[in-house]
Amino acid sequence: MAAARDVVIVGGGHNGLVAAFYLAKAGLKPLVLERRAVAGGCAVTEEFFPGFHGSTLAHGSGPIRPEIARDLKLKKHGLIMLEPEPRLFAPAPDGRALQLYGDTATSAANILQFSKKDAAKYPHLQKTLARIVALLDRLMTMTPPDIDNPTTGELMHLLMTGRQFRRLGRDDMFRVLRWGPMAIADFAAEWFETELLRAVVAARGIFGAAMGPWSAGSTAVMLLRAPADGNPSGTGAFPRGGMGAMTQAMAAAATAAGAEIRTGADVAQILVKDGRVSGVALASGEEIPAKAVVSNADPRRTFLKLVDPVHLGPDFVVKMQNYRCAGNVAKINLALDSVPPFTALGGEKGSAAALAGRIHIGPETDYLERAFDASKYGQFSEHPVLEATIPSISDPSLAPAGKHVMSIYAQFAPYKLRDGDWNGQRAALGDAVVKTLAAYAPMLPGMILHRQVITPADLEEHYGLTGGHIFHGELALDQLFTMRPLLGWARYRTPIGGLYICGNGAHPGTGLTGQAGANAAREIAKDLKR
Amino acid sequence: MSADYDVIVIGGGHNGLVNAAYLARAGKKVLVLERRHVLGGAAVTEEIFPGFKFSVCSYVVSLLRPEIIRELELPRHGLEILPLDGTFTPMPSGDYLWRMNDHAKSQREIRRHSRLDAEAYEEFGKSMLEMCKFVKPILAMTPPDPTTLNPKDLMKLLFIGKRFQALPYQDKYNQVQLMTMSAADFLDGWFETDVLKATMSASGIIGTFLGVRSPGTAYVLLHHYMGEIDGAFRAWGLCRGGTGALSNAIGDAAREAGVEIRKEAPVAQIKVKRGVACGVVLANGDEISASVISSSVDPNLTFLKFIERGHLDDEFIEEVKRYKFRGSSGKVNLALDALPDFKCMPGPGAHLRGAISISPSVDYMERAYDDAKYGHHSRRPYVDIVIPSLTDPSVAPPGKHVMSCFVQYAPYKLAEGTWDDQRESFGDTVIDTISEYAPNLKNIILNRQVLTPLDLEREFGLTEGNIFQGELSLEQLFFLRPVPGWARYNTPIKNLYMCGSATHPGGGIMGAPGRLAALKILEETKGGK
Repeated sequence: MAAARDVVIVGGGHNGLVAAFYLAKAGLKPLVLERRAVAGGCAVTEEFFPGFHGSTLAHGSGPIRPEIARDLKLKKHGLIMLEPEPRLFAPAPDGRALQLYGDTATSAANILQFSKKDAAKYPHLQKTLARIVALLDRLMTMTPPDIDNPTTGELMHLLMTGRQFRRLGRDDMFRVLRWGPMAIADFAAEWFETELLRAVVAARGIFGAAMGPWSAGSTAVMLLRAPADGNPSGTGAFPRGGMGAMTQAMAAAATAAGAEIRTGADVAQILVKDGRVSGVALASGEEIPAKAVVSNADPRRTFLKLVDPVHLGPDFVVKMQNYRCAGNVAKINLALDSVPPFTALGGEKGSAAALAGRIHIGPETDYLERAFDASKYGQFSEHPVLEATIPSISDPSLAPAGKHVMSIYAQFAPYKLRDGDWNGQRAALGDAVVKTLAAYAPMLPGMILHRQVITPADLEEHYGLTGGHIFHGELALDQLFTMRPLLGWARYRTPIGGLYICGNGAHPGTGLTGQAGANAAREIAKDLKR
Repeated sequence: MSADYDVIVIGGGHNGLVNAAYLARAGKKVLVLERRHVLGGAAVTEEIFPGFKFSVCSYVVSLLRPEIIRELELPRHGLEILPLDGTFTPMPSGDYLWRMNDHAKSQREIRRHSRLDAEAYEEFGKSMLEMCKFVKPILAMTPPDPTTLNPKDLMKLLFIGKRFQALPYQDKYNQVQLMTMSAADFLDGWFETDVLKATMSASGIIGTFLGVRSPGTAYVLLHHYMGEIDGAFRAWGLCRGGTGALSNAIGDAAREAGVEIRKEAPVAQIKVKRGVACGVVLANGDEISASVISSSVDPNLTFLKFIERGHLDDEFIEEVKRYKFRGSSGKVNLALDALPDFKCMPGPGAHLRGAISISPSVDYMERAYDDAKYGHHSRRPYVDIVIPSLTDPSVAPPGKHVMSCFVQYAPYKLAEGTWDDQRESFGDTVIDTISEYAPNLKNIILNRQVLTPLDLEREFGLTEGNIFQGELSLEQLFFLRPVPGWARYNTPIKNLYMCGSATHPGGGIMGAPGRLAALKILEETKGGK
């Protein structure tokens, strides 16, 4: 029997790779076990149709936190980030289109076509967000405090946060307190009068969530994602070569630092002996002994599938069963014959440049809310909210010459369907998405060479996301910070000695930032160095 | 020249009267000005139809703080609360869910639906009791200002923090869930029976423009659990003689303490001199001076209607305008010739003596909300029915009955048309909804009164018809109610205070805002008269 490994990391998603890197840096010899043939988890580039390469799932970077990118030297490992402008293109039914840029003034100038007032307010929002985000940023990078006896270090950190909080000044302090539990629709309406702009802002609060813009707490989701990029337009950074290029760079960085990555290694069980992890067992039957096991899988999968519940106790198990992680996002990848002309850009004569960033389909907050309504009753939206990108515009390497790939997040598509299953409804969902796009780009349907529809069921089956939830669990007030995944278990440690979690089911749990992995590695190193 | 009064209280609602009573008992010379011909604000009994006395708006009592009942000796002033036994939920299937105050009976009934839920129900009751105990002192406290370093405020925050720390893990877990989750999600963690979850979640949406699946509603659920009668949590009651009797009892206590009360004396303006409130002007032009003005009406009326522009800075005005009212409920009061006959439990019986809840499923509740989101009253609304005449015969002629139906949702802002055109169709919807369970209803109605959010605004001065003087949503609670930084009953105008439901701890016939505001006023006017 082989000698016990220092650390085995279950799952080679971006957080697993980031954790591997930092653990290796800390002088440990982590082994990453990835079930699939390629590392990267939800951030992978795959050839979904001969000659057409797309970011199969996630199509935009979180973005990755700058300090993490620096530590991992992702540039050196071949990552090139593209930041096309405009960042966001949002066509309106009336043929106009809103375009937001990295530069505030340019964005404001574009908003002017809709409203003088909003154009004036937009820079104000950006400034305010930037101030508040600086505070939230500190919370992202910290390990949530122990609820029973916080250590002095944590208290210091909280105190610093408190200081910074006070430095915000009274108005901003109250803004933070008031905004957190607010519905993003109210937030957007307080700032802007243009429905389209409201919808664009609101969309950030509901992405990946089982919430509509009128759901209380959706503003918190927006604020949580904002630290990654305080720009109200949201982030617009894409890795050249698709998302896979980013995780490949991470893998390279981890390997260079001394981590080992094994693909095609499907962990079937996390082994526990007298309340402590002893290693993992692969589906192949192979057993790998380890002093510590770090799970990049989502909490439900980790605690209810990979670990035998007897080691956890009924109370923990029941709470974990109540952990909400029913996904609501579907992913559609299109192989296109050419760039679809959007009516708002002057149809065929129009230029494609405006489509290089994110394309937002969802003209009004009520449209977003109605899309959500369907999901509450177990149906997908006939008129979904869409975020699309055509990465091949700025990165021709993804598709054959002149051809293009289009990547679309579609909301809402509930994991649990009221009638039938996703195999029966996959096509219908694909049709609804294409139909919705066709309203703004009438020629699109005729340009589709191939269509790949990935439903929440597929996300669960092929990518191991329980419930198909892209964030490893609902980003709701009751599952954040000290409560992610469970109150008292937000410190990357688990009831089982030597078992840790490092995925988005742990704080901060927002998108592709790598922060959960970095935070977890910090805590794990502390324990293992003892 | 000294002022006519020490304090003028604007509005003779329950909070205004409680406020006045406490001030007078402390030796202040107090005048209460009520716009209508009857005291009580939204807690009134009125004889709408000869012989039929209705608790026109607010119809159940239970949140009234026990210390107020004690300190104002309300029983001596005629307050008598009759227990309301249980909640009866008829189901379309012909089945029903009937929870009674007798816990054992309720459990037996729930076991009919689910053995697991019957066991969970026991645990749930215990947990909610613990949660109420935790929240109680917070309801009884003037909210601290989290943005200052004032030791007094920090102590309060610390106090809350320490109490939380002291909770056993399970209670901590429940508490954070209650503060953050939706009623439906929260109850999903406890129960499996849909009709049980639906009926329980109902108390999470009352007075809000939220659905049972909206985060934050779990807190409102708790808010309604705070109900106390003789110290027993979660017991609701009716007031003998209708809810107005409660207002009259507080009124008598106030008068006895020396308060002068003027009805049909609508206030038109609050006089402000050099940033200091100094009196009021009545609609009839009379001017009355006072050293302190305490307003129990909502912030919209207080700051945007009663105070001349220029006395408040724009930022504050913005904050006040931002405060959300969003009335979402209506009321239908029926004079009945006989008792309604429910298909699922025919004939008269104890099930009619409690609350009757039209809340058959969680989806039913959520769909009712969906209609409202887009500016229509619910096609099939949630209805909470009581028949007070069964417990208190004095409110109806012999053999006849009054039936009070609280209806949600009825959005103040309609997508098309006005409430004046839709009032009757709204009334019909409610009758049709109930008739699906009690078909004889249509034939026994002698008279009906339909109150839309617009009527609540016109008649009772509730802006946008919100029964809590502002939504009980998380961003409008505690130190954020009604305006961030102004949650401590005082206002940017010196000597002007708020004492209504728009201040912490908020709506319901609780009286806490009136009492806390009085204590604040006394504290700040100490020394000088």
